[in-house]
Amino acid sequence: MNSEFTLAEVDRDGAIQEAIEEVSGDSRAGFLTKAAVLSGGLIGGGAVLGALASPAAAATKNDVAIANFALTLEYLEAEFYTEAVRMGALRGQTLRFAQVVGAHERAHVAALKKMLGRAAVRKPTFNFRGTTENAAKFEATAVLLEDTGVAAYKGQAGLIDSTAILNAALAIHTVEARHASWARRISGKSPAPAAFDKPKTKAQILAAVNGTKFIVSQPQMSAQGTPSFTG
Amino acid sequence: MSDHLTLAAVDTSGAIREALDETASDSRSEFLKRAAVAGGTIVAGGVVIGGLPKLVSAAPSPTQDAAILNFALLLEYLEAEFYTRAVRSGALSGETLRFARVVGAHERTHVAFLKKALGSKARSKPTFDFKGTTDNQAKFQATAILLEDTGVAAYNGQGPNLTKKTLGAAAQIVSVEARHAAWIRDIVRKNPAPAAFDAAKTKRQIERAVAATGFITSS
Repeated sequence: MNSEFTLAEVDRDGAIQEAIEEVSGDSRAGFLTKAAVLSGGLIGGGAVLGALASPAAAATKNDVAIANFALTLEYLEAEFYTEAVRMGALRGQTLRFAQVVGAHERAHVAALKKMLGRAAVRKPTFNFRGTTENAAKFEATAVLLEDTGVAAYKGQAGLIDSTAILNAALAIHTVEARHASWARRISGKSPAPAAFDKPKTKAQILAAVNGTKFIVSQPQMSAQGTPSFTG
Repeated sequence: MSDHLTLAAVDTSGAIREALDETASDSRSEFLKRAAVAGGTIVAGGVVIGGLPKLVSAAPSPTQDAAILNFALLLEYLEAEFYTRAVRSGALSGETLRFARVVGAHERTHVAFLKKALGSKARSKPTFDFKGTTDNQAKFQATAILLEDTGVAAYNGQGPNLTKKTLGAAAQIVSVEARHAAWIRDIVRKNPAPAAFDAAKTKRQIERAVAATGFITSS
């Protein structure tokens, strides 16, 4: 074990760099340990220090915009489920659905915020217009939100630059599809209405979300631009 | 380095060890260069999601797409035949029967789509023996859960290896497999969505899972 590589030599497509950048809050010792394991223990200390950038600084502008788009949808879903459970109108399997799925959406929020670091958009303010206070309205809204989430991730997947962010998006995308199927079954709808799920563009998703009027104030988000920094 | 993680601790899915097996004849520098093409995702605590599924794949290309789509076609052939035989057996009833009819139709559509996409490169249909799992409702249900969950993990594992256009097509299929998985899980009162993130599996892991069923008698 006597040959030495710099991170740059080993990490030709930046995959290790990406993976390292997703580790946050590490002490230097912990960070170097993980980096060493990723490389088989042969990374020179100098190269690793250069990789101690924040995740967002290394991600492309494009990926930051996509991750923030996803984060906004996850904020919405997480808040919807959290509030619905709190309102106390749900029972039985619908309540269990809201509890399990809410925990997932909160985990998605946490993961996307960690990836984005200081580039993460802030949570919007929501008004769910009674849909969290009535079981039938909740179920219908859950179907809409989950089907929309599936179409949104699917529409963005092919546009993502970073493999690490793509992996995260794919891992979330199919969980949203499970949620959609589950919500549909609870509502008496077909869980899997078609052999292929179609993607939607960002503009189409924004139109669907704006149609709910759930977001009452938010950081600037347009179909083209990246969100403005709020923090 | 006193708190050095062992390979076993990081390699929770065995993917790194698989790669080492496959590169036994490589020089160390060759292995490390290929290891650098990993697409694994690290989250807090150093846990690797998916065990670095890209570890032994090359950059996306149409040739690699075809290989991956043929891998997907194998799985879709398996699922389609499983559901077709289960419906024909007469062992299913109620919502489980409806599930098998709807989902079988989807899987047959996926087979047709992949065959068309691959053209002359499409692999042939294997022969199958489902070992009684299509003749008994409870065994059918358990097997359907396994096959659908495996399909999700397989597609998610290969996603980053695909060209963007093919990824778009694969994405339209994988979410439907996830719907299938959640549906049959809910029918038998299992958690439809057991985790916040669906793990990806490597091709080798999927091949081992499929081989363990014994369903493919010749491919």
